[in-house]
Amino acid sequence: MDCESFREDMLSVLYGEADAASCARFEAHRASCGPCREELGALNDLRRTLAAWKAPERAAPVAAPARASLRGLAAAAGLLLALGGALGLSGTQFQYTRGGFSARIGRSGLQDVQPLLTALERRHRQEIAGLEARLQVSAVASSSAPPPAHDDAALLARVEALIRESEGRQAALRNASLRELGEQAETQRRYDLARISAGFSYLEGKTGQQVARTTELMGYVLQASQKR
Amino acid sequence: MAPSDEELVDAFQRGDLCAFDVLVRRWERKIHGAVYRMLGSEDETRDISQETFLRAYRALGTFKKEARFSSWLYQITLNLCRDRLRRRKLRNHVSLDALDEAAGASFPPAAGPSAFDLLERRDLSRSVAAAVEALPEEQREVIVLKEYQGLTFLEVAEALGLPPSTVKTRLYRGLRLLRQQLERQGIRGPAAVPEPLP
Repeated sequence: MDCESFREDMLSVLYGEADAASCARFEAHRASCGPCREELGALNDLRRTLAAWKAPERAAPVAAPARASLRGLAAAAGLLLALGGALGLSGTQFQYTRGGFSARIGRSGLQDVQPLLTALERRHRQEIAGLEARLQVSAVASSSAPPPAHDDAALLARVEALIRESEGRQAALRNASLRELGEQAETQRRYDLARISAGFSYLEGKTGQQVARTTELMGYVLQASQKR
Repeated sequence: MAPSDEELVDAFQRGDLCAFDVLVRRWERKIHGAVYRMLGSEDETRDISQETFLRAYRALGTFKKEARFSSWLYQITLNLCRDRLRRRKLRNHVSLDALDEAAGASFPPAAGPSAFDLLERRDLSRSVAAAVEALPEEQREVIVLKEYQGLTFLEVAEALGLPPSTVKTRLYRGLRLLRQQLERQGIRGPAAVPEPLP
């Protein structure tokens, strides 16, 4: 007999539903059939693997009056409108690129700082080049004759002044970036809060549907009790 | 001793509306589980579970008791799931959050198993869910009712309106497909299954 004719018995054995006759029939076949022994083992293993998928616990029903959910919806809509206006005024841009939305918060952004940085870098390079040229001149002069003391002091003072000036600019830039970052973080926080509120309002909407269904069910109950 | 489903149905049909409440409390978890495994989305599961009991309430007065109450309830459930799946196909709907919900929902936040174990279990849960979701609908129904709902072959046959031999054929094909799909993902045998959570 081929293995296929024992398949139903094998499934009954696998799920513990085999009666004495089908159990004996399959056991007799299994004793002499390696593939069926292997298959039963593999199906047992598979059942243990399938048990790894747990369904989530049923959520407890939330009883919320429909009016409250409408109030929540209205509040969330108001908040979204206000935030939308604020984001619009602040020049926030939303873009759809590469299959997803991206938001750019704030009007100025880092793009406006870029020209300033470029100009600063250009000035620094010019100053460094000037310093290098003067150092070369003084090196040439020092090889022939000792330079006058007041020239060294003046050069040192000039270098110190340049360093101080550069540090001041760096600090100003850092402060400006920090301020901008703070503003961006604040706007982002407000945007996130609005999204959370919108999420709550969606959930409340779902609850409203549930309430409507429960009300319908209650209607049936009332009708039935009135009939009785 | 708790009354049987059939006794509760009798009581309801005699006018005891509280009997329906007992039936709902007895079956809501099972129905919720079956719907979740058929649809894979928690939102839809809540809707369909509720709709199932609403329909049962409407029709229980005229229920003829030719089949078990549980089989009848599963029939309603599966019909609603099939409708939903059909509508989903029409809208070309894809549930993206379902697997994350499934994998995350059953894990307690308390300490115990290592983070590695949790990740491994979550991955395995996702793989199994994806494999079951990929089955043809008629095989998935049998797998859900037999494997996850624990119905007997006769009960599955009754719920689906099929002969038990057809149920066994679909089950066998479904199990084989699942095995192939899981093996393709490198999941073989019980070695890949971590110990159950405490």
